[in-house]
Amino acid sequence: MIEFSGDFESDHPPEQLWNYFTDPEILAQCAPGCDHIEQESASELAATVAVGVGSVKPTFDVDMVVVEADRPTRLVMDAGGDASRNSFETVAEMHLVETADGTTADWHAEVAVSGLIASLGQRALGSVAERLVTDFFEDVEALADEGVPADSQIRAKPDAKAALDD
Amino acid sequence: MKPATFEYHRPTSIDETVELLAELGHDAELLAGNQSLGIIMANRLASPDNLVDLGQVEALSGWTVDGDVVELGAMTTHRDLEFADDLREVVEMVPEAAEQIAGPSVRNRGTVGGSVAEADPAGNYPAAFVALDADLHLTSADDERTVPARDFFIAYMFTDLEPEELITRVTIDRAPFPPARTGMAFEELKRAAQTFPTVSAGTAVRVDDPDADEPTIEEARVALANVAEIPLHVPDAETAVEGSSLDDDALDEAAAAATEAADPSPEMHADEEWKVELAGEYTRRSLRTAYDRATQ
Repeated sequence: MIEFSGDFESDHPPEQLWNYFTDPEILAQCAPGCDHIEQESASELAATVAVGVGSVKPTFDVDMVVVEADRPTRLVMDAGGDASRNSFETVAEMHLVETADGTTADWHAEVAVSGLIASLGQRALGSVAERLVTDFFEDVEALADEGVPADSQIRAKPDAKAALDD
Repeated sequence: MKPATFEYHRPTSIDETVELLAELGHDAELLAGNQSLGIIMANRLASPDNLVDLGQVEALSGWTVDGDVVELGAMTTHRDLEFADDLREVVEMVPEAAEQIAGPSVRNRGTVGGSVAEADPAGNYPAAFVALDADLHLTSADDERTVPARDFFIAYMFTDLEPEELITRVTIDRAPFPPARTGMAFEELKRAAQTFPTVSAGTAVRVDDPDADEPTIEEARVALANVAEIPLHVPDAETAVEGSSLDDDALDEAAAAATEAADPSPEMHADEEWKVELAGEYTRRSLRTAYDRATQ
């Protein structure tokens, strides 16, 4: 199990950002390597995400379930991805805290990887993951700066609980 | 093992290459000498659908040295750079980095662009180009851009290069390095010739007057390989020796700065503590050689 965490400062208030983080179209635009996202129910998403480290470039079919969504402060997602000879499972949570200038988004993810990418090691994956997450937040921020409309469409799945299989 | 099946493309021009990349994007890998990718593919760590071999794109090979700039084509081999006397006269760090890569068979085929794009944390050119503050020139079907080497390497084997982009050349501004007053060195610890080094240090120093009793360093450059996830530029080590005549105190301070900045991943043959120590020691050795060369 690998843990990643970080934070991001936004100039926009949590109430506004929330719409962006819960709009599948916005997520599809901003998630690195994301081809498309389909919303399968109010709290379930399916996506295709290609991530590359060097020449190792698996394309994952990812299923995400939103297990907690407390507008506008807390979002928890349970996701799993499968690619040829690679897979991962993750529980990712994000906390939006209002600040004088906007919002601080604190994020934290616990990830279990298996297959070829696991052989890259935690340090290598960590440095790449941090970069990808930062890209994601920067892209969301840019859309919010431009005033691109966002529509909150994701709700928490009732009675769902996030947990990684050991 | 043998690689998974792939489609092989062999463009002959930069235009043809970037058109292919625009079409294939994420599903293609560039082959720039094939000293790493073939192995990774044979182990099936990578299984690209398409290989775009740059070996026939002649416009990418060769180097030029003019009064202001040194320009290296991305498909220039380590072997060519190793024996480039005109380069050695003006940016000695480049041929010295090239000549220490693996063994002769690898140097005959491996290329500067391939090494930069691979971005192995132990690679020689990435550290050298960060030290020299080189610029990387990237081309795609609809854009050209220049990225400083210091901004290009982002994370472990992860760069600013987009899937549809090609590195065409590397340029180095000669202004900070007048040959008569400059010395450069690329020193590395390698347990066997064919392997990646454990730690490397690329340094350059420019002195005020090489004929003075104690020439003073006007400007220094220090970058290390394989002590972080990306090539490590160490400005504090540069500051430590600037204004000095590379006395022991200045060297100690530079080595301490490198030790402080180092954040290496342990490897089977070298643990973290050892690599941190090497970061300091090779900074010291490399600076000493560079200073000797600047003042001779």
